[in-house]
Amino acid sequence: MVMSIEMLFLFSPFIVVLAGLLSERFNINNLRESVAILLSVFNVYSIYLIYNLVQNSSTKIILFTLGGYPPLGACFEIDMLGVFMAFSATFLGLLATIYSVSYMSHDTRKTEYYTLLNSLVIGMVGVAFAGDFLTFFGFWELMGIASYVLVAFRKESWGPIEAGFKYMVMGAVGSTLLLFGIGLVYGMAGTVNFAQISLVLKNQPFSYWIGLILIVFTVGFGVKSAIVPMHTWLPDAHPEAPSPISAMLSGILIEIGLFGLIRVLYLFFDSSLFMMPFAFLAIITMTVGNIMALRQDDLKRMLAYSSIAQIGYMLIGVSTGLEYGLLGTFLHIFNHLLMKGVAFLAAGNIIHQTGLRDINKLSGVGRMMPYTTISISIALLGLGGVPGTSGFISKFILLSSPLYSGLPILTLLGVLNATFSMAYYLRVIITLLSGKTVEGSEIKEAPLLMIIVPLLMSFLILVLGIFPEISIDYASKASKTLIEGLSNYIGVIF
Amino acid sequence: MPNDLAFLGTAFALVCIGLYCVTHKNMIRILLGIEMILNAGNLVLVYFSSYRLSLGVVDPLGQSLSFLSIILGGCILAVGLALVVNAFKHFKSVDVEKLRRLKW
Repeated sequence: MVMSIEMLFLFSPFIVVLAGLLSERFNINNLRESVAILLSVFNVYSIYLIYNLVQNSSTKIILFTLGGYPPLGACFEIDMLGVFMAFSATFLGLLATIYSVSYMSHDTRKTEYYTLLNSLVIGMVGVAFAGDFLTFFGFWELMGIASYVLVAFRKESWGPIEAGFKYMVMGAVGSTLLLFGIGLVYGMAGTVNFAQISLVLKNQPFSYWIGLILIVFTVGFGVKSAIVPMHTWLPDAHPEAPSPISAMLSGILIEIGLFGLIRVLYLFFDSSLFMMPFAFLAIITMTVGNIMALRQDDLKRMLAYSSIAQIGYMLIGVSTGLEYGLLGTFLHIFNHLLMKGVAFLAAGNIIHQTGLRDINKLSGVGRMMPYTTISISIALLGLGGVPGTSGFISKFILLSSPLYSGLPILTLLGVLNATFSMAYYLRVIITLLSGKTVEGSEIKEAPLLMIIVPLLMSFLILVLGIFPEISIDYASKASKTLIEGLSNYIGVIF
Repeated sequence: MPNDLAFLGTAFALVCIGLYCVTHKNMIRILLGIEMILNAGNLVLVYFSSYRLSLGVVDPLGQSLSFLSIILGGCILAVGLALVVNAFKHFKSVDVEKLRRLKW
């Protein structure tokens, strides 16, 4: 199939630019913001239409070609996994855009901001849909460049510039190494189409070249998804970015990195090859993330280290090589998006209203900002894995999956880590609710839009915790495409 | 093929030199290091695209990917240089050692 009308949403950043320029030229208030929100809604709706297309097709995969038929010519090969990730990206993009209207109201250069935010979302959708490395790499860099600029957006102070530079250097080294890996794969398989590479590489015996490709891809994707030896940009970049961007980075961008890794690993390599290395990476990622998070006094910095720990849990599912483990990973990606999104947005409310980021100075603030505190408490309890929240369901699946792949030590260490992590999550809730407030300070609750978005998301956390069938069904369709649906994925091309 | 060693060796050397440059203190040198790793990728792509001469022409796929990556590399470098300019405004230096105010 050539491109269809459903893919028009890929051009939405251009419309945001036009609306922004118009509203600057003619001084129309709120035009830019309303257009940005409308286009975010349109993005989510387009993904829903594509979901219907995928469900109605016989192979559950649709192929959009861009000039020429594969292997010559780029293509979008959309399966349920891509739809899952794209829905997550556009959904969080919509919520972050709505939140930004209030949060960024006093900033300048808003046209650039909304355009970059929309480009970030479109880049992630493109990465999720890509069927070959040409498309993949283009959208990967679109996503990367948009996120580098957004981290350093408030360039008036030195913090964002320093964080942005670190992030830019590490991200660029990662993506250039990725290009090097693509070059090597292209040399081995003679094509850049995922399905055809899979056909050539999957059944080859182990050689040094395959080992080298595995290492290069792990480093290239690992930088973006903050796997531990490559994680040092994350705890700087997440706190210094504006809060909606922190939510985007932590909620979906690092998971898109993980998605790229999963797609490459499961398509190109035999699962026995990467089981042990990724089990090891999972252990050090979650342990380092949790220990470092415990030492932080800065609220957003603590949440950033907690993201690293959550990536460690997700890697447990990746290392199993089983459909059950991948189900846990994808379910946790969606739940982590909700939980970390709420946590960062609510932390943004607190910083916006009080100007404080030190957890020790926030004592009693929670009683003055009740709605923010309710939402951040639900999110933190969910991140810790308390039953009744959606975090419990996905963490349970993740931590029980190594039992089926013959690595029970991962379950043990995962449960220990999850218990350990409650120490710093509970600390925030306790400080916010108890303790004396500083005398004479008048702290008001955040503006309406900034309360509604976190409250809505925390409500979703509770709903998906009590009725998990909806999200489990959705995530299991995504995980099936990688194991059972692999022959379909290859078959569509030929 | 005897060319294998020359081209792949050059590409690996470029990656190693690039990684070495990235660990340096000067910001401009870091950006040059990134560009070097990118060009190693381009070299590999262009070399392997001439590897399969089954149709009598070189494979256009690898070459188009390397064109794409040259453009994207320019974009990354532009963002990087903009960040260097801003960092120079705040820190009065292009030394990355000065960018150590955030804790690790």
